[in-house]
Amino acid sequence: MKTASGLAGKSVLVTGGSRGIGRAIVETFAGEGARVAFFYRGNDEAAQEVVQSMHAAGHHVHAERVDVRDSAACVQAVEKLADETGRIDVLINNAGVIRDNPLTALTDDDVATVLDTNVGGVFNTTRAVAPYMVMQRAGAIVNLSSVAGSKGGRGQTNYAASKGAIEAFTRALAVELAPRKIRVNAVAPGVIDTEMSQAVRDLAGDEVKARILMRRVGSAEDVANAVWFLASDYASYVTGEVFHVDGGFKFD
Amino acid sequence: MAEIAVTQQEIDAVFPKVAETMADALGCDVTDIKPDVSLIEGLDAESIDFLDMVFRLERAFKIKIPRGKIVENARGDLPDAEFEQGGIVTDKGLAQLKSYLSEVPAARFKTPMKVADIPRLFTPTTFCKLVVRAQKEA
Repeated sequence: MKTASGLAGKSVLVTGGSRGIGRAIVETFAGEGARVAFFYRGNDEAAQEVVQSMHAAGHHVHAERVDVRDSAACVQAVEKLADETGRIDVLINNAGVIRDNPLTALTDDDVATVLDTNVGGVFNTTRAVAPYMVMQRAGAIVNLSSVAGSKGGRGQTNYAASKGAIEAFTRALAVELAPRKIRVNAVAPGVIDTEMSQAVRDLAGDEVKARILMRRVGSAEDVANAVWFLASDYASYVTGEVFHVDGGFKFD
Repeated sequence: MAEIAVTQQEIDAVFPKVAETMADALGCDVTDIKPDVSLIEGLDAESIDFLDMVFRLERAFKIKIPRGKIVENARGDLPDAEFEQGGIVTDKGLAQLKSYLSEVPAARFKTPMKVADIPRLFTPTTFCKLVVRAQKEA
């Protein structure tokens, strides 16, 4: 029987790691003894706060300001990370944005920003990281999807399309990389207590909770735990899966 | 675009490191990497192996090799329509290919040749030439 996740000492890259679910993922992996690097887009203060609190706890965490929409910047940052650590064992594609509005009210920018960040970012980062994992003949990739990827949500056509794409990407890449012993999975959180989902929770409030079998919104840690599992050796026979972490969220 | 000439001496100079890198990528013994062996027919290389080999060569030699560079170079100055039609390499294209891949034994150029089958021609020497050209272009 396994008694360890196998993540201690591993080199882990998390995109969008300065806040919300990303921060919880960084903390979970660092707490497990992994060497964690995370990308953040613009909030230097939040990123430094994460780094400092992790360093204070004796963990290895490094932050890099990278906009995942910029493919060249992703390649450069990943090369730098690989030069420093010698390898990249785990990639968590978490960076994402939300711009909810009914379809006809969405601006070009609402559509482009969500698709470029949520989908383009996954392509850019994964394309930069995958060659290292192929070379290592080992690796685990976990992509953050959403309940919106499989269930309809009003005002979320752009976000839902991006998350549906991530799930399809996950399955296709799992097929491509399985021969090189690289696993690719996704976690699809439901309603989670983060800054990003605040507006949705404010709008729907109790109505949303009534649809969650567990009768509570999830925490960022609930999601981080699922990501941790899929990246760990405990999930060594799991690939191409979308793992729902939504407390039993139902649309009736 | 004029093709950069590569001498046998230059190929010989990079071959040991190229062979070692290819053996690592393909999980075979370095002695299996003969200069003119077909990587696909002789060493069971798959498309992902080619990407892996190129990536490893880039790191080993500190060079950049744009993806699809071999076929692009092989095509040379020929416009797409003159190089291939309906996925089949034209006579003109085949002549160009034979000249670019001069290290490949003539018998391996089948006709008609599908564009998709061009990688079947690639040998370790093909990659040595790619490395030398990338070094010269840098």
